[in-house]
Amino acid sequence: MTEQINQAINREYEAGFVSDIESETFEPGLDEDVIRRISTMKNEPEWMLEWRLKAFALWQKMEEPEWAHVHYPEINFQDISYYSAPKSMADKPKSLDEVDPELLATYDKLGIPLLEQQMLAGVAVDAVFDSVSVVTTFREKLAESGVIFCPISEAIQEYPELVKKYLGSVVPQRDNYYAALNCAVFTDGSFVYIPKGVRCPMELSTYFRINEMNTGQFERTLIIADEGSHVSYLEGCTAPQRDENQLHAAVVELVALDNAEIKYSTVQNWYPGDENGKGGIYNFVTKRAVCHTSAKVSWTQVETGSAVTWKYPSCILRGDNSIGEFYSVALTRGMQQADTGTKMIHMGKNTKSTIISKGISAGRSNNSYRGLVRMGPRADGARNFTQCDSLLIGGQCGAHTFPYVESKNPSAIVEHEATTSKVSDDQMFLCQQRGLDPEKAVSMIVNGFCKEVFKELPMEFAVEAGKLLEISLEGSVG
Amino acid sequence: MSDWLGRAVSRAEQVSDWLSPQRQASLALLREAQWPTRKTEAWKYTPVHVLADAEFAAAANSELAAAEAIEGLNSIELVFTDGVLQSELSQLPEGLTIVPLADASSETRQWAAEAFSAAKPSKHLFGLVNDVLATAGVIIDVAEGVSIEPVIRIVHRIGKDCEAHNRVLVRIAKNASVTVVEDFSGEEKSFNTGYAEYTLAESASLEHYRFALQTGAALSVGGSHFNLADKAQLNSTLVGFGSELSRLDVDVNHTGEHAFAKLNAIYLLDGNELFDLHSTIEHMVPNGTTEENVRGIVADHSRAVFNGRIHIHRDAQKTLAELNNRNLLMSRDAEINTKPELEIYADDVRCAHGATIAEIDKGALYYLRSRGVSKAQAQIMLSFGFINELVDQMPNQVLAEWLRPQLRQRFANMEVK
Repeated sequence: MTEQINQAINREYEAGFVSDIESETFEPGLDEDVIRRISTMKNEPEWMLEWRLKAFALWQKMEEPEWAHVHYPEINFQDISYYSAPKSMADKPKSLDEVDPELLATYDKLGIPLLEQQMLAGVAVDAVFDSVSVVTTFREKLAESGVIFCPISEAIQEYPELVKKYLGSVVPQRDNYYAALNCAVFTDGSFVYIPKGVRCPMELSTYFRINEMNTGQFERTLIIADEGSHVSYLEGCTAPQRDENQLHAAVVELVALDNAEIKYSTVQNWYPGDENGKGGIYNFVTKRAVCHTSAKVSWTQVETGSAVTWKYPSCILRGDNSIGEFYSVALTRGMQQADTGTKMIHMGKNTKSTIISKGISAGRSNNSYRGLVRMGPRADGARNFTQCDSLLIGGQCGAHTFPYVESKNPSAIVEHEATTSKVSDDQMFLCQQRGLDPEKAVSMIVNGFCKEVFKELPMEFAVEAGKLLEISLEGSVG
Repeated sequence: MSDWLGRAVSRAEQVSDWLSPQRQASLALLREAQWPTRKTEAWKYTPVHVLADAEFAAAANSELAAAEAIEGLNSIELVFTDGVLQSELSQLPEGLTIVPLADASSETRQWAAEAFSAAKPSKHLFGLVNDVLATAGVIIDVAEGVSIEPVIRIVHRIGKDCEAHNRVLVRIAKNASVTVVEDFSGEEKSFNTGYAEYTLAESASLEHYRFALQTGAALSVGGSHFNLADKAQLNSTLVGFGSELSRLDVDVNHTGEHAFAKLNAIYLLDGNELFDLHSTIEHMVPNGTTEENVRGIVADHSRAVFNGRIHIHRDAQKTLAELNNRNLLMSRDAEINTKPELEIYADDVRCAHGATIAEIDKGALYYLRSRGVSKAQAQIMLSFGFINELVDQMPNQVLAEWLRPQLRQRFANMEVK
């Protein structure tokens, strides 16, 4: 039975093609000059350059973190190119008609149509290709309700006050090794501002694609939801199939001001490397949200890609009555390694957090949940519930749980539970007895295991995530 | 390396006895060892700076009141004062051999040298210190098929400003069974490391108690470590009171199939006390079972640390392992840091862990108060009930009866806020 399941896991990576697009790419290497060049390319004001250089100075003094349950060869940061953009983007196209058709074709192939009339109604897309944002759709329509949705490189020039105030306010430059590196070399990403009391009229989404060889992608996303506003944001990512590892070190900062609500969903499908662990993306990401009074931030992630994942979307529950949520499905197979989880820092009174984490390991992969729940001394009446379930498929994989629970407040209640199980012979027998083939059976059992998380995803994404898991498990039974 | 550790290493270089070959390996590790800081994962929440430059007298044979016998307990008492064995060993039951570490016969030395540091992993810094400095201690050997009726109670008393390092090695042969109590108490400023290693042969059975009841200024670091062969049975109860520095490491290694380990632990902390319990369960082979229940009550300014790790090795299929940690936080100034860990490399296993932290249930408190019970009394009743579930599970009721009044006393003293 185990063998059947294992075979089901071997499938092709569908987004592994390379687009033939002429690019302008920096020589590999990292020093102050490179940072100055990035800043010049992006037409940045002086303060931004200084901010980058300060981060670079900090980064040079920091050490790579080693505490995660992942192993990979040392990264040579001088072998990476820190900027790559399609040549056709040099003169910024003014409308979609001017965008290189090859670029549009790439997104079309990935199932992300950028032509607005073809779009699923109600989703605006910012497409980031290597180091630049190619196109952002529905900008005018969003502007009607005062919503700003644009590449962060534009926001630095057009809304410097907002950027200055919030950039680095959630994830400071010195936060950690990869965040510091991102602060120094980030190239593009999305910027969102939802004005007071506005409910964003459509879903916002960013689609990241790494195309060029030997490049790293360092994107930066900043979302500010002003008092009483509401926004739902989706993020997707893919990369070509290559034998070399590529680095992706992103920073995402969310600011939810009083009574605001941000829903952030990710479907991460970077190239995971082949079944022997060759190639794949190193995904070292820092994501964090600050919740002010009565604000709510909800992270939902479906992680199926990347060779190594190191990612802990967190909530700092600063304001009283604020709410943090984390729903995660992490699937590892082949030689993938994932160390992912969340931090819920309860500072305000009556703050609440829910953590639901589902880890599925197959093949020779390792899947770890690492989380922190901290009840501060002022967090009266705070409440946390954590549930981490692991599903093991095959005897060569690993599933691990490392939850840190810290409480300094007697009126706070913390509950953590974790279980581990496998796709049992009984379950498989029952399904097969009713005429399902083994592959369908595994897929059904896994989908059931993940249901609690999938129901948190926006509808289009839930369908995509379900399909992704299905494809991921395809061939894992036999 | 701290001043204290530097001095410990130079003292260890002077130690010479029949265990010296075993001590050398630990000494080499110790020379390379880093002094724990907040960034050292195993000491993240437990600062050891009180020890960093402390100075203590070596075993001074201080005048200490004789250890009180436990009423009604049929026991063989082994009393160590400042690490030196004070008891006469005579008239032992048949099949039981107890010798001080220094007096071991050549035959005993052979197996004891092998058992030395076999169950205790070298990751424990102070375990290494104990390896190189513990010249005092005792070797207990239970012969095949023998059931030892009396409880072996090892009592440790450390005098003011003294430092003591004690090692206990226990071998339980096939089908044999025995009960061992490790009893630590005292509140004077002192420092001790007490490590015990148990080797259970096939179908051997051990009832184990460790009362880490040192309080006040006593600094105490120690561990109990178990190797379980096929079908071995371990039932262990740990009770901790906490002091300025109190750290206990427990390792259970399932080296044989179908072994069963039950681990119950209780900690009750008050004042400025700190208690740190690290437990590691290694399921190295298939078909093992572990049940671990840890409960704590933390009051006033005290701090509790619990790290419970269950590691299921590759191929350790059909393992059943459960870990439960429940805590009551009684004061705004107290703190609990808990981390139940699972590391699993086999798919056909049933593993679960849970951890909770909360205060006494307000509804229950209200119920008692509405029936005329004072708030203080109600809190004692409820917190005692929370702990008593585990005390009730102690197989030896005489020990449970001896423990209960001490726990009650402690609840009565806890400041109700």
